[in-house]
Amino acid sequence: MDLLADGDGPPLLFLHGAGGAGRWLPFQERLATRFSVQFPAHPGHGGSPAADWIEHISDLAFHYLDLLDELELERAHLVGASFGGWIAAEMAVMASHRLHSLVLIDPVGIKVDGWIYPFLFGMELPQLLATVFHDPMAALAIAPKDQSVDTLVELYRQQAAVARVAWNPYLYNPLLKRRLARITAPTLICWGEHDKLAPLRCADAWVKEIPGAQLVTFAGSGHVPHLEEPEAVADAVVAFCRRQEGAR
Amino acid sequence: MKFYYFHLMPYIMDHDEPSSWVTLSNRHYDPEAGRGLYHEYLDQLEYAEKLGWDGICVNEHHQNCYGTMPSPNVMAAMLVRRTSRAKIAVLGNGLPLRENPLRIAEEIAMLDVVSGGRVISGFVRGIGPEYFSLAVNPTNSRERFYEAAELILRAWTEEGPFPFDGKFYRYPYVNPWPRPIQKPHPPVWCPSQGSTETVEWAAKRRFPYLMVFTPIKRIAQIYGEYREACERYGYTASRYQLTVNLPIVVAENDAKAERIARENALWVYNVGLRMSTPFYQPPGYTTEPSLRRVLENRPKLPTELTFEDLEEGGYIICGSPATVRDKLKVFSEELRAGIVCSGMNGGTHEKTLEMMQLFAEEVMPHFREDAAVDETAGVGR
Repeated sequence: MDLLADGDGPPLLFLHGAGGAGRWLPFQERLATRFSVQFPAHPGHGGSPAADWIEHISDLAFHYLDLLDELELERAHLVGASFGGWIAAEMAVMASHRLHSLVLIDPVGIKVDGWIYPFLFGMELPQLLATVFHDPMAALAIAPKDQSVDTLVELYRQQAAVARVAWNPYLYNPLLKRRLARITAPTLICWGEHDKLAPLRCADAWVKEIPGAQLVTFAGSGHVPHLEEPEAVADAVVAFCRRQEGAR
Repeated sequence: MKFYYFHLMPYIMDHDEPSSWVTLSNRHYDPEAGRGLYHEYLDQLEYAEKLGWDGICVNEHHQNCYGTMPSPNVMAAMLVRRTSRAKIAVLGNGLPLRENPLRIAEEIAMLDVVSGGRVISGFVRGIGPEYFSLAVNPTNSRERFYEAAELILRAWTEEGPFPFDGKFYRYPYVNPWPRPIQKPHPPVWCPSQGSTETVEWAAKRRFPYLMVFTPIKRIAQIYGEYREACERYGYTASRYQLTVNLPIVVAENDAKAERIARENALWVYNVGLRMSTPFYQPPGYTTEPSLRRVLENRPKLPTELTFEDLEEGGYIICGSPATVRDKLKVFSEELRAGIVCSGMNGGTHEKTLEMMQLFAEEVMPHFREDAAVDETAGVGR
């Protein structure tokens, strides 16, 4: 597994979104000033090989619960963005007792009444960027390094790894929403106010379903606030996680 | 050589939208115009039998103007009762595209029984855009294809009822009525673009391999790989296992044929096959070695092809009867293909019928040394 790790402090596991593997960016940098950050690449993403046995989103959740065991982390703060937020929510439903806290940044994963996620797989690049980013320039941070055959094959492998678990039903697990009530970890929901993939109304559904969840929104962001306003999001995460530690 | 008349049943139109597939709005489809087209196209297929073609072919595509046959079995059913001699080749049913592939075993068996055993059953995965149109997960399409094929073949050949417990398809009772009339089952063909995996799979089972709309150099390469695979499986490929599908344009002279081809044949590539980039290769649809092979030697997109590309690359056959005969000889003698499937488009229904007649009279008779041979004997099963 391709696993980036840095920083000192309580353990924090970060689960990236589609396309976000393997880049240690200002968001992770800032978290690492307070936490020992573990940042794995999902199977089929970045340097992690594709895994045939992953056929359902719950397989990814088990995969990361296994990682907590391997790292001998009895408990950790769990932060997931977008697709990674979906995996994090599945983990929290299974094993809240392993989590100090849960932070979901514009997660997908549940069906929200009255909303259908736009089908990113069918979009040309400009449309895709406009759907995901409030400011498309922020996409430069995760732009592919070149157009070589190796890079294109890697991107294709990454897309396939997401499609494998998210093509249909698209970006959600029909069983997840009603299971969210099982989550006992303190939960913070972060949301970009201009998210066009999963607009703010989706945030309301998450807040409603997860007991005690708090919501904080980011006025300058679309679907990926941790890339668009990394300092502000990191600060919100740090403050929330520290509060949970103080509360114990 | 055997001749099969192939139809896409296109809804020919010009448009400026980025894709002729998946997203091209069906507001462009005029059902009254479509009605006229369907009848003309069916007339052409029926006429092919009268003119001496050995088989007539239908195929499956979804949500596009390139080919308006979402259910090839429906079209085959219309042809079965209006023909009496020609093979009816369904090229093919997209196995992974069906939620319940036992339905394919049933429908093909129905066609086979009513037609008195004239049906050829193509097994395909469906091209990229179908996975968007039907929302089928492309990442396990190959696995589903293999499993559905196994299910269908067993449903045709094993006495029912028996249980089938696959990874994707599960049945407590597989026991389709009717059973097919051809024994052990209708011939299976594999229309494909040449992926290594499908070549192996088809060669192993003696299923004829059909190259669709591919340049001649690639056909030669894939035929080589297929023949080599057959040898590895312990037999020599029959020429009727090597089939090619390409448009033919024939007219009184080369200049006229070229003019007709520019007006009509080019549309299939430049407009009909225009699609948004993501549709070509849905995630996981292609294996990484196959993707690498494509990327390292990237062919022109269909929309980039000029008439000269089509002509020189051997994507189409175009010319006077004499020219067409010469070009066909390359397929029959050099590539040793046993069957040519081709559609024709003269621009109007009447001109298409004339072209078909010209081909049947001036070209086909020169390739009839195998008139007495049944091309489906011993292959495809």
